[in-house]
Amino acid sequence: MSQKVKEHLKKLLIEKKIKGFLGLRETNGHVMPHLFTRPEELEFLSIGDWKKAGGARYPLNQILIQLTIAYPEETFAVLVRGCDERGLRELFKWKQLEEEKIIPIGVGCPDELAKTCECEKPFPDCQIDGPKAEKAEGKRIHQIEGMRLEERLQFWLKEFNRCIKCFGCRNICPMCFCNECSLEEELLVEKGDIPPDNPTFHLVRAMHMVGRCIDCGLCEEACPGEIPLRTLYKKITEIVEKEFGYKTGYNLDEKSPLNIIEVK
Amino acid sequence: MEFKTVLTTCPYCGCGCGLLLEVLNGRVIGTLPSKTSPVNEGKLCVKGWMVHEFIHHPKRLTKPLMKKGGELKEASWDEALDFSAKQLKEIKERYGPDSIGVLTSAKCTNEENYLLQKFTRAVLGTNNIDHCARL
Amino acid sequence: MAKKRLTVLQKLLQFSGIHPERLRMRWVSSAEAAEFVHEITEFVEEIKRLGPNPLKVKEAA
Repeated sequence: MSQKVKEHLKKLLIEKKIKGFLGLRETNGHVMPHLFTRPEELEFLSIGDWKKAGGARYPLNQILIQLTIAYPEETFAVLVRGCDERGLRELFKWKQLEEEKIIPIGVGCPDELAKTCECEKPFPDCQIDGPKAEKAEGKRIHQIEGMRLEERLQFWLKEFNRCIKCFGCRNICPMCFCNECSLEEELLVEKGDIPPDNPTFHLVRAMHMVGRCIDCGLCEEACPGEIPLRTLYKKITEIVEKEFGYKTGYNLDEKSPLNIIEVK
Repeated sequence: MEFKTVLTTCPYCGCGCGLLLEVLNGRVIGTLPSKTSPVNEGKLCVKGWMVHEFIHHPKRLTKPLMKKGGELKEASWDEALDFSAKQLKEIKERYGPDSIGVLTSAKCTNEENYLLQKFTRAVLGTNNIDHCARL
Repeated sequence: MAKKRLTVLQKLLQFSGIHPERLRMRWVSSAEAAEFVHEITEFVEEIKRLGPNPLKVKEAA
C-alpha cells in the first residue's frame, strides 16, 4: 500500500487535523471499512485492491454520512477514487455532508479497472497517489442501442427477471440517502412479487438515479442476479448530460436539474 | 469514538454468506456484504441485508412470558422454568419422547445450540431437533 | 420539473425497448375543451398505430 498516502494520513492524525480517517483495512485476507483514529493502525491500510484492482471497494461516503450525523462538529478524512469524489460533490450539494468538515484522500485507479468500469474520469482532483488513467471507451450502451426496439425490450425483461428484490443495489448505493424509499411504497411497487414488477421496479430506480448516479458500479457488484444495472444508469447519466448539459459530480457550483435545494 | 466493521456469517439460512456488521461505538448500525468472502462475493439476499435490524430491536424479549388467562404475562425465570419442566415431563410420560420437537435458531451461539441438542437427546430422549438455517 | 422528468423518462423507455411515443405530456387547461379532445383523439390514434402494450402481450404469451 502506498507509503505516500500513509505518511500524509499519519501527519493529519498526529496534528489532530482530523478525528479519524475512514478508509479500508486488510486483516486476515479480508478487506473491510475502518475508521483509523491512531497512526499505528495505518499499518493495515488498504485501498480496496483484492485479487484484482478495486476488487474490494465499499460505499465509504455512505458510512461517512452516519459518522457526521453522530459527530457533526468533527472533521473526517475519507478515501476517495474518481467516482467517490463525484459522489462527495453531489452529497455536498444535497446537503448530506459539509465540505468544510471532509478532507478527501484521493487515489487514482489503474488502466484495467478504468476500462472495466468504462470510467469517464478514473482519478480524483484531490489525488495524492496512484495512476492517472485515461478515460475509457463506453461499449455497453452502444451494444444495447445496436438492438431493435423489440430486441431491447426482450433483453431487459430477461435480465430483470432474475431480480430477487434484495434491495442490494439501493442499499449499497453511496448516493441513496432517502429516509423513505419509493421502492418500498406499496402503492408503487406491490409487495410479495419476485421478480418485482418487470420492468417497472428497475425503471423507477433508474429514474431516481437521475442527477445522482456517479457511476461507481457498486450496484452491479452487489446484484446476486448479475443484472447489468450499471448500463441502465450509465444511460441515465448520458441522457442528463445530453438534455441538460449536466455532468453529475463534476461541479460544486452547478446543481442537478432535479435538485431544488439552495446551494449557497 | 470507534467505528469498525466486524466480519461475521449471516445467521439466517444455511448458505453462510460473509457479511460485515457496521459498529459505531459498540452499537450495530448497519450491514454490508463482505466483498472478500468466497461464498457470496459481495452479494446478499434481503434477509442478509437486514441482519442488523433485530440486534437492538425494541421488540426483543427481555423477560420470560407465560400465558395466563389467554394473555402473555411477564413471569419470573423460576416460574417459567418450573412450569416448562413439569409440562415437558408430563408430555414425555404420556405421549412418549418423540412427541416433542425442539426448534432452535442459527442466531444462537454454537455453545447454546450444543446445549440444547444435548438436552433434547439426553434428557428429553428424542432426535427431533432442527433450526432455521436448515431451510 | 415534470417536463424534465418526462424528457428523461421517454429516453429511458426508448433505451429499455418501449416506444417513447407511448408516453405523452401536454398542458391543457380546463377551459380548452376542444384542444383536450383533439389531443386525446390524436393520442389514441398514435397508440393504435403502435399496437398493443408489448408488456401485456408478453404476459399473455
